Amino acid sequence: MSGTGQEQSVGIPPAEQASSARLTTLRILLSNEFGLLVLIVLFAIIFSTISPAFLSKFSLYALGRTSAVNIMIGFSMMVVIITGGLNLSVGSIGVCAAMFGGLLMQAFAMPWPLAVCGGLVMGAALGALNGFIIVRSGLHSFIITLATMSIFFGVMIFLTRAESYRDISPAFTSFGRMKLVGIISPLLLVSALAGVLLSVLFRYTALGREMLATGANERAAELSGIRVNRIITYCHLLSGVLAGVAGLMLVSRTGAAIPSMAGQLGQDWLLPAFLGPVLGGTLLTGGRVSVLGTFLGSFLVTMLTTGLLLMQVGAFWMQTYLGMLLLAAVLIDMVRRSYLTRRKLI
Amino acid sequence: MSIQNSPSETDVFIAEGMIKTFPGVTALEDVRLSLSKGSIHALLGENGAGKSTLIKAITGVHRLDSGRMMLNGQLFEPSDTRDAISRGIGVVHQERNLIPRFSIGENIFLESLNAHPLRRIDYNKLFRDARVWLEMLGVDADPAMPVHRLSVAKTQLVEIAKALSLNSRILLLDEPTAALTPHETDTLFKILRQLRDDGVSLMFVSHKLEEVQEICDRVTVLRDGKNACESQPLKGLDRQAIVRLMIGRNEQIPDWSARDRSTGTAVLQLTNVSTSLGHKEIDLSVHKGEIVGLYGLVGAGRSELAKSILGKFQVTGGEVLVNGSRAQIHSVADAVRQYRIGYVSEDRKSEGLVLMHSVLENVGMPIWRRLAGLAHFLTNGKIRKHTEPYIRKLEVRTPSLDQHVGNLSGGNQQKVSVAKWLAAQVQILIIDEPSVGIDIKTKAYLHELIRELSDNGTALLLITSDMPEMITLADHIVVMNDYQIMGEIDNTRDYDTMSERIMTLIQGEEPAAAE
Repeated sequence: MSGTGQEQSVGIPPAEQASSARLTTLRILLSNEFGLLVLIVLFAIIFSTISPAFLSKFSLYALGRTSAVNIMIGFSMMVVIITGGLNLSVGSIGVCAAMFGGLLMQAFAMPWPLAVCGGLVMGAALGALNGFIIVRSGLHSFIITLATMSIFFGVMIFLTRAESYRDISPAFTSFGRMKLVGIISPLLLVSALAGVLLSVLFRYTALGREMLATGANERAAELSGIRVNRIITYCHLLSGVLAGVAGLMLVSRTGAAIPSMAGQLGQDWLLPAFLGPVLGGTLLTGGRVSVLGTFLGSFLVTMLTTGLLLMQVGAFWMQTYLGMLLLAAVLIDMVRRSYLTRRKLI
Repeated sequence: MSIQNSPSETDVFIAEGMIKTFPGVTALEDVRLSLSKGSIHALLGENGAGKSTLIKAITGVHRLDSGRMMLNGQLFEPSDTRDAISRGIGVVHQERNLIPRFSIGENIFLESLNAHPLRRIDYNKLFRDARVWLEMLGVDADPAMPVHRLSVAKTQLVEIAKALSLNSRILLLDEPTAALTPHETDTLFKILRQLRDDGVSLMFVSHKLEEVQEICDRVTVLRDGKNACESQPLKGLDRQAIVRLMIGRNEQIPDWSARDRSTGTAVLQLTNVSTSLGHKEIDLSVHKGEIVGLYGLVGAGRSELAKSILGKFQVTGGEVLVNGSRAQIHSVADAVRQYRIGYVSEDRKSEGLVLMHSVLENVGMPIWRRLAGLAHFLTNGKIRKHTEPYIRKLEVRTPSLDQHVGNLSGGNQQKVSVAKWLAAQVQILIIDEPSVGIDIKTKAYLHELIRELSDNGTALLLITSDMPEMITLADHIVVMNDYQIMGEIDNTRDYDTMSERIMTLIQGEEPAAAE
């Protein structure tokens, strides 16, 4: 009833401040991002000890370039995972966007910035189509994107007759092959920029907050005046754009738009797409995101792949290890989360 | 203060010196409790007093830091809930714990279904056995029907059947009547008395003191994690005395006089409205500064009407007028942003709040767009500036604004869901069952707040099944049954005549005939 009671109701009593500082430290040490950093450093040491070539300039450059694409693929899945859904058609959309960009450059001789925009618009359109069908049908995104994965890929193969576009603007391919300071790929900077923009979206815009609220509790979000259907569609649209960026990055790197660049139906992208966000602590049920976590998670996965390749582990084992990594990550995360919940830290 | 009873032979369950701490909170501090055979024991206390922790300790969800529990003279240290169940402790939780797509019968016997993983389940026997329990509880439903098709009240009764079917000798009931109509409550009480006479020990947790006084024999009150009294006979304790034990001071019952606010401008007006959900010929108006109560039993279509006004469900006929002109509401977003209508849901956890997000996020939700403006840029500081005054005004008890709402007590959660609409500065506020799962202090506080809002000109539509609450708050009461309006009366605030008139209206008789 008194004024002091009101003070206490929002502020932290001074006696608890010391222990709360300790709790904050504990919370940071137990965070996903910190755990990932530790793992990245740990594996870097292991790999460089076993194979000194790991730290060579070219190896580091290649690592950055490959992880740039994987990070972008991770982001593409992440923005849909936050709604509590998933997007199995990331690979399909990525390839479609890349092929469209390639077509514009080769058949229409468009300058590369325009062609890139065209590719991204294609990605956005396909993503938005996913979102539209999901929202209108009320079905789970799993089944819709499983279907569109096949449809998008099938139509693309039919229209391109499964032929590649190799007449790519040299300026565009030199971008993907450029080396900054000898080891940094500009593609990695593109991914970092995308990460910054996504962080801004989720932290500093109404749209980003609405995306997270919708993912956490769609009914509550709707009753608070959020247009949830529109928001879900935007998330899929954004996912399509990011998948398109990843696809075009590959074109820039390889110098060609190839229908099979993400495997049959784009399925080669699925594992990296889920690994990044899940390792990074984006909640599969939606409502919580970690952009930095996805960045680090995807980087770790790429590093493991590169390292294992250097150690000359066979390709089949590679898939096994990545699968095991995904499983281990989810299990460790479960233990971590239940510990934090028990101690009421989250 | 605490009155100690020496343990007698009839005490089947005794707990002493129970201590349980969580980081920063001592939930139980040297708590005692004893349950005797064939009695109904009330466990009372405000939200956060430690009732839930106590129940969780008995049912094996939490381990005690120290203390001792004795069951039938033997040391009782349940390792998990299943262990507690096998020792004869049944519990009916506040939250629904049934599997919606499973049949009633399967839900009742869920624990025994998996006894033989490979043996075929004898559904005929299962349903036959289930029917016995349903008949005993007076539930008129086919045991093969999936639970999600039942009303909330019947779901609750199925849950009780499930606990009883496990042959529990100790039955803990956590607010079992929260969703029941008076009639259903009576049926339940009859059954509880019967169980008591059969020698079952019952522990009854409720915020409705009228019910506690009606059915319980003894009472244990917790206040701030300590015993305010222990196993004290209820006889001789009046309502005031119980409340004093619970909150440490006397209850202040507002003595508000009847008032007529229907002369102001009609802010919300429904004429001959029908909806896709089946509402027919709904006429309703809420004036500036008026509290209109919408009374009815569970399932009368009140929340559904509220959500239709909000644009969540379709209005198929008639007119909805806001401030005298026809409102075009196609979605909840239209209602919130354009017409400034807010809705405090009866179901805080699944549609009122985003439990995994912070207090700040929750309160800011309806105004993000407005604050972000055209630049679309939004900082926590800006949201804080527009929400913190209201969070403070409502005295939300939280360590910080970044605390997850799911970690707050029920009363504070409710305050957050109201603060959200205060921050949005709504002109029409629909409040659905404001005091479900709320302690007395918070309830009284909310009542004052609602009254204050109306004095400041907000038009309020109040939905509640709590008759005293309705008569305390509403200026004008509209009675609904079966998706139709049965009649309306001005509130004289005289409890006996008002409640009688309301009940006759529900039954479809003209109020004049009853007088």
